Amino acid sequence: MQQMKNLTVEEKNQLKLERLQSTLNRAYKNVPFHRNRFLEKSMLPENIVSLSDIEELPFMDRSHLGLHYPYGLFAVPLRDIVRIHTAPGTGTNPSISGYTKTDLMIWQRLVARSLEAAGVTSMDILQINLPPGLANWGRDYKDGAENMGASVIPNSPLSLAKTLMVLRDYKTTTLVTTLAFAEQLMEHMFENERNPNEFNLKRIVLVGEPVGAEQIKNLEEHLHVDVWLNYGLSEIPGPAIAFECLHHCGMHINDDHILPEIIDPVTRISVTPGQTGELVLTTLSARAFPLIRFRTGDMARFSTNPCECGSSLMTMEWLPERADTMMIISGIKISREQVTIYLKDALGVNDPKCKLEKIRHGGTEMLSISLVIDDSLFSDEIKNLEKLMVSTSERLAELIGVTVKITLTEKKI
Amino acid sequence: MLRIKNLKCSYGSIMAVQGVSLSVRDGELISIIGANGSGKSTLLLAICGLLTTWEGEILFKNNDIKGMSPPAIVRQGISMVPEGRQIFSPLSVMDNLKMGAYTMYRKGLKKQVEDDLEMIMEMFPILRERADQLAGTLSGGEQQMLAIGRALMARPSLLVLDEPSMGLAPKIVEMIFSIIQKLRQEGVTILLVEQNARAALKIADRGYVLETGKMVLQGSAEELLVDDDVKRAYLGKDYGNFCDGRN
Repeated sequence: MQQMKNLTVEEKNQLKLERLQSTLNRAYKNVPFHRNRFLEKSMLPENIVSLSDIEELPFMDRSHLGLHYPYGLFAVPLRDIVRIHTAPGTGTNPSISGYTKTDLMIWQRLVARSLEAAGVTSMDILQINLPPGLANWGRDYKDGAENMGASVIPNSPLSLAKTLMVLRDYKTTTLVTTLAFAEQLMEHMFENERNPNEFNLKRIVLVGEPVGAEQIKNLEEHLHVDVWLNYGLSEIPGPAIAFECLHHCGMHINDDHILPEIIDPVTRISVTPGQTGELVLTTLSARAFPLIRFRTGDMARFSTNPCECGSSLMTMEWLPERADTMMIISGIKISREQVTIYLKDALGVNDPKCKLEKIRHGGTEMLSISLVIDDSLFSDEIKNLEKLMVSTSERLAELIGVTVKITLTEKKI
Repeated sequence: MLRIKNLKCSYGSIMAVQGVSLSVRDGELISIIGANGSGKSTLLLAICGLLTTWEGEILFKNNDIKGMSPPAIVRQGISMVPEGRQIFSPLSVMDNLKMGAYTMYRKGLKKQVEDDLEMIMEMFPILRERADQLAGTLSGGEQQMLAIGRALMARPSLLVLDEPSMGLAPKIVEMIFSIIQKLRQEGVTILLVEQNARAALKIADRGYVLETGKMVLQGSAEELLVDDDVKRAYLGKDYGNFCDGRN
């Protein structure tokens, strides 16, 4: 952040152009997928001579990641990869991302940058509580916070009561979690008559989904904390792509490492600053897993007013609507198509008619599937049907990273 | 200070530099590393006006230096220590240094030249001892000091060094790099092209990696030093010894 502050606009744009050109040269040289897409457009990386020229290149989306499962989009030999992350993906294959040592070093700094912007210092005790589907981010926050010298209580599967005990006894000052868990924690505290004054908690960093002003106010007032939003993707390169600073004037994008665009999701043409559209990201410094014009499905708009903090990083507002059909449950993006494909294969039904909903059960967010029972599913033995639904739910939960509850219905959906 | 965008240089049909962008900010020490034939020296020749036909943009202190002659570029504040030193062998050490101040003499800054000579002699005491000796009789390390001293006589804002370690014994290389580091600490902005990637990155703020005329990597020196591609290609890391079958 500090380093970026010292750069003039020209210097910053030069830095971004240099990084973009290096990324494109490496992607063209090392990844057949990227090379072919250049060639299909009769282009070479050296044809990109300005940042806006990136609009000449084709888009990528999550389907490309599944199609090139597992390592088809890596730009370095496997021996250079030191960490491999898995995200659920959108089809039958998960999407895999890889990191070199340098990637991890850069990413730690970016996570540290986002935490510093939220006021975290080396004097803080940071507790991470993220669902299994966001476990990768848990590691990134741990590394980033350790990098800046904070004390870290890493992500681990604890009960709500135990989490609360750690939060109180270990004098946690910063909690990194999802909105669903923060609200669950708050409800549990009040139900058990735990006064927030017993805790040292100063701030909550929320990840995984856009959060409305009312929900933030609710948490801040009940828990006596400041709430900060971080934006990330499970595919690239991690959790702190954008973050709020002390002025809460939107989210600063780490645009020295990730080049953002906002496009009209229908026409695929860039919109003017201030207009709403789909966020598209290009990595500028990722060695192992460069992504070029990746359509996130997230809706956002660039802020047109400079932030009071003086940062030269671009600022965006992250909006609740989506450009695709994905659902966000406990901060994890769920592909409806992937769920349907899974049900089709698991249950042997040609065209499963189902309704997917986000529900809360005992404070936990989960995916509820109402599945219309048809002849191919029907069985005289209710027990067999129940067994099939339970095993299907469990296996699907493993695939997508959130708890699944399937109920059968005779009604048409 | 220096901003290069989309530079393309060719020798006949051979494209030596293919759309390279690079920047050097005030007070930085930047290293460009790459194998033989990667376009490093060509890049420097274009910056210093020694290569006249190129495409793209080179801005120095926000001035476009395209079409400027080498002396005009020296007057702008860029001074080069060329590959292989290129000192004037038949001239004395003192005359070599004075040749570096050619543009100062033309401006009538004789007193300043005298002061600078004294400063160079203090920086490189061996040159004072050898002041009247013919430059061609100096050792390799002394010649490199002379080449650096000669470049500094022009009071450059940007010192460009092309392969300063070439042909020198390891001990002398160490000394030359400590001199470069000292210059940087004194506030001289430096662009260093070097095949000895480890030595160059150890003293640099940032680095660029050129490969067959294209920029394929750039980052802080710390990032490049741990990068496996850089280690394998330029730092002599032998992967064959522990490669376990992964590609």
